[in-house]
Amino acid sequence: MSDLTPLRDLLDHHVVGHDEVKTALLLALVTREHIYVEGPPGTAKTRLAEVAAKGSELDFFFYQLHRDTRLAELVGDIVLERRKVKTEAADSASSGEAERIHQRIEPGGLLTAEIAVLDDISRAPGEALNVLLRILNERRFGAEPIPLMAAIATGNPMDDEYYNEPLDPANLDRFALQLRVSGLIQSGAEDARTLIDRFAAGSVVEQPDPEAVTDRATLDALNQRMYKVEVGPVVRAALLDILRTLVLEFECNETNSLLTDRTFLVKAIKILRGAALLAGRTAVDLPDLAALSWMTTFRVPPEAHEALPRIIGRVNRQVRAV
Amino acid sequence: MTLPAPDRHTAELSAAFVELRTALGRVLVGQDDAATGLTLALLAEQHAYLEGPPGCGKSELAAALAALSGARTHTLVFHRDIRETDLLGDVLLSRHRHRGFERLRRELIPGPLLHAEVALLEDLPRSPGEALGPLLRILAERHALGQALPLESAVATGPLEQVEAPIDPLEPGQLDRFAVQLRLTGLLTGELFDEAAVLLARTSARRAAPATDRSGKGATREFPEGHTALTAPVMSTAIRKAAQRTAAALRIEPRTLDAYHRLLDRLRQRSADQSASGDRLMSDRSFSSAALRLVRAHAFLRGAPAAAPRDLGAIRYMVAHRLPDEVQEDFDHILEELLGDPPNVTMAEAGAQMPGAQNQGDDDSDPGAAVSQASDSWIDDQADLPAPPALFGQPPPPAQVDPLLRALVGRIERGRIDPDTDPGGQPRGYRPLRDLDELIDADVIEALLFTEGRLPGAPRTFERKRRSAGGAVAVLRDISASMAGRLTVWSSQVVLGILRVAARRRMRVGYVEFHHRALPHHVGGRLLHRSYSRLAEQAGQAKAVGQTNYEAPLRTALEGLRGGSGRNRHVVLLTDGLPIIGDTSVRRERQLARRLGVALHTVFLGNGDCPPVLDDISAETGGLRFCGRPLTGGGLRLEER
Repeated sequence: MSDLTPLRDLLDHHVVGHDEVKTALLLALVTREHIYVEGPPGTAKTRLAEVAAKGSELDFFFYQLHRDTRLAELVGDIVLERRKVKTEAADSASSGEAERIHQRIEPGGLLTAEIAVLDDISRAPGEALNVLLRILNERRFGAEPIPLMAAIATGNPMDDEYYNEPLDPANLDRFALQLRVSGLIQSGAEDARTLIDRFAAGSVVEQPDPEAVTDRATLDALNQRMYKVEVGPVVRAALLDILRTLVLEFECNETNSLLTDRTFLVKAIKILRGAALLAGRTAVDLPDLAALSWMTTFRVPPEAHEALPRIIGRVNRQVRAV
Repeated sequence: MTLPAPDRHTAELSAAFVELRTALGRVLVGQDDAATGLTLALLAEQHAYLEGPPGCGKSELAAALAALSGARTHTLVFHRDIRETDLLGDVLLSRHRHRGFERLRRELIPGPLLHAEVALLEDLPRSPGEALGPLLRILAERHALGQALPLESAVATGPLEQVEAPIDPLEPGQLDRFAVQLRLTGLLTGELFDEAAVLLARTSARRAAPATDRSGKGATREFPEGHTALTAPVMSTAIRKAAQRTAAALRIEPRTLDAYHRLLDRLRQRSADQSASGDRLMSDRSFSSAALRLVRAHAFLRGAPAAAPRDLGAIRYMVAHRLPDEVQEDFDHILEELLGDPPNVTMAEAGAQMPGAQNQGDDDSDPGAAVSQASDSWIDDQADLPAPPALFGQPPPPAQVDPLLRALVGRIERGRIDPDTDPGGQPRGYRPLRDLDELIDADVIEALLFTEGRLPGAPRTFERKRRSAGGAVAVLRDISASMAGRLTVWSSQVVLGILRVAARRRMRVGYVEFHHRALPHHVGGRLLHRSYSRLAEQAGQAKAVGQTNYEAPLRTALEGLRGGSGRNRHVVLLTDGLPIIGDTSVRRERQLARRLGVALHTVFLGNGDCPPVLDDISAETGGLRFCGRPLTGGGLRLEER
C-alpha cells in the first residue's frame, strides 16, 4: 500500500470516473513529471488537478492560456530596477547623474507554485510557449531553482477547428505523461450514471473545497523512495525490446515520432519506478511496463500507440519464456 | 614573451585536453564524435553549433564542456522576446544638467555574456533577427562595446533543420560563424540499441533523488538526468590558455598543406556534382583560418609536433552545413582515399574525377534516387517517405522533379513572405505604444521617460508579426489507363516530392487520384490533413485504369479547400492527357479557384502535346506550368513550359 491512498480516495470522492487520469496524476506527483491531458471541455481536467493540489497542501497556480499570452502573466511581474550610479561629469560646468536600469522579474505564478495547471495550452502561440516549457523542463528560471513539482497541462483535441496552429510536437515532449480523455457522458461510460445520480441525490455541493489529506513532506519521502525501486536487467531488456519494436516494426523515426532519448531512456525509468511504487512494489516488474502507454499517446503515430499494449504483452511473454 | 615551453610541458597541456575529451565522452553515451568536435573547438578557440533532435543531450554536452574546461561561462537561452540588453548588458542612462538643459545619454554596461570565456547559446535559431545580428557580429569580432572579449568559444544549440518548428532555420551564412558544426542523432531513432541499453542501465543505477526542500531553494536541477554527473574542471585556466596558444602556433607540414588543397578540390568537385547544393557554403573565412586552427588542434591533441596530413580529419567536424549530405557521409572515405594517393597532382586529379563519376552512375540505377537527391538539403529528407515500388522488373530512370519542387517552394514561400501583425509573433520593428499593457514590449528607456511624463509622445514598442504558417496543397493525380508503366512511377515520384515539401512546412495535404471519377483519399473524414506518410504509402500503390476527367478532381479539391482560410492554398494537377469526360474546359472550377485565391499548378507528363486547357488553368489562377521532357537514357526532366 502506498502512502497516496488517502489522496486517491479524495480524488475518487470529488471526481467520478477517470481512473486513468487519477492514476497518472498520482504518478506525476511521485515522479515529479509533468502531465498533459487532452480532452474536450468539461471533463474535470482542471478539477482533478485542483483536488490533487489542495489535497496535498501544495501551492497551486492556475493559468488559462490564450492567443496573446505573455511571459509576465506566467512568471510574475516584470520590474524595471533603477539604481543611481556616480558618473564623471562631461565637463565641469554640468552636474551629472546616471541610472543603471535593469529589467528583472519579480517571481510569482509559475515560479512560486508547486503544482501548476496550464489550461488550454494548445491555444498559446507555439513560440510563446518556448520560455514556459523551458522553465517546466529545467525547473529553474535563470539561475534560480523553482519549487514546481508537476505541471498539469490541458489541451483541446488536435483538430483543426480548435486552433489555428498546431502545437509544436517538440513542446509536447516536455510532458512525460500524456493522456487522452473523453467525457463520461459522451462516451457512455458506466460512471456517467454515477455522476448524474450524485447530482440528482443532491449529495454534492458543486465544487466543495477538498481537505488536505497529505502534504509535501509525504510526497518528498515518496519521491525519495521511488529512486530506491530496483530496475532489473529483465525489465530493462523488455523496455528496450519494446522501443526496438517501435523503431524497427512501426517505423517510428524523427519525423513521425518523438522517440527521444531523454523521454524513453531516462524518464521512462522514473515512470516505471513510480508505477511500481504506487503498486506497492520495491522492484519494477513486467506489469509496470503498461505505464509506457501514458508516454506514447502523442509521441508515436496513432497506430503504434494503439498497438502498444499488444507489443508489451508480446515482449512480456517472450521475456517470461526465456 | 616566453616561448612555448619544452616538450614535456607541451605533452602535459595536450594531456589535459585529452582528459577533457575523455570526460566529455563519458557524459553522453554514444556521442563520441560530438565530444571530439567540441574539444577541438575549445582548443582551437572556435565557435561550435550543435544540432539534433529534442532530448538527445545537446545542452548537456555543451554545459559539460563549459564545466569541465573550468572556463568562465554564461548561458543564454534564446527565445522570441530576447532583447539586446540580455545579450550585451544593462542600460545606463546618464543625465547631465548643463546650463539649464539636460542631456540624456544611453549606454550599455557589459553584461555577463561579454565576460564569458565559454558562452552557451541555447536554442539559438529561436532568436529574433534583431538579437541575432548583433550576436553574430560579436562572435565574429570578439569585440563589443569598445572592448575585447575574453571569449574563447561559443557553443550554440539548435533543433535539426528538418524538424518543423515555428521558427526559421538559420541560414548557411549565419551558421558559417560556427567553425565546428555537429549533428547529433538520438540513440533510439538512430537505432543504436546497444548504446541505448547502456544509457538505460545508467539511469537505473541512479538511486538517489535530487535534494529538495519546500521553498525550492535547495533544489538541485535534475541535470544531467541519468547521465554521469558533471565533474569538476579537469584543467586550470592557465593550462587551458597555454594549450590554446601552443596549439595555435603548431607547425603545419608542407605535405599537409598540399593534401589540404587536394582535399578542397575534391570536396568542391563532389559538391558541384550534387544537384541541390544551393544552400551549402564553403566560405573563405572557414576554410582558411578556422580550418587550419582545427587541423593544428587535432595534431596537438594527438601530441604530434606538427600537423600531418591525417590531421585533416578535423575538417569533418566542420561540414554539417557546408557540404551536401552525400559528400559529408563520404568525407572519411574521400579523405582516406586522398591520403592513400601519391602526392602527384595529376594523378590526384584523375583520382578525384573517378569516384564522383562512378558514384553518379550508381545513383542512377536507384528508382528513388532523384527524389532523395533533390531532397538532400532543402527538403525534409528525414520525412523518410517510402520510395515508389518498381512496377516492372526494370525500374525506369528517375524523373527529375527538382525544378518543379523548387518552383513550387518558391510559390509557397511567396505566400508566407509578408508577415501579418499578430500579438504572438516575432518582434519585427517598432510602432508607438497604444495601450498600457504594451509597456512590457516598449523600449526600456522610453518607457521610463514616458512614465515620468518626460517623453512628449508615446514610447516605441515592438510591432509583432507572424508569417502565415500552414497553408494547404492538394495533389490531383491522373491514374487513367494511359498513365500505366513508367508514367506511374514518375508521377509517384512527383507526388512524394510534393508531400515532402508540404511536410517540411506542416502544410495540410490532400490527395485525389482521378480517372473518369475523382477518388479522394480522406483521412479522418477530411480531404486535407497532415498524415503525410499515409498518403505517401497510398501514392506508391496507384494503378492506372479508366479515362481522364479534369472536372471531378478539381471540383473535389476546391470543395476541400473552400472551408480553409489563408492565402497559401495550392492545387497541383498531374496528368498525361486530354480530358475526355466531364467539362473539358473546367470553366466553373477555374472561376471558383480564382474566387478562393487558390493557385492551380499543372504538370503534364505525357508524350504528346500539352493540352492548351492546362495553360489556361495555370495562367488564370497564377499557377505554375510544368511539363515532362524525356531525357536521353530514358529519364524525365520536369521543366517550366
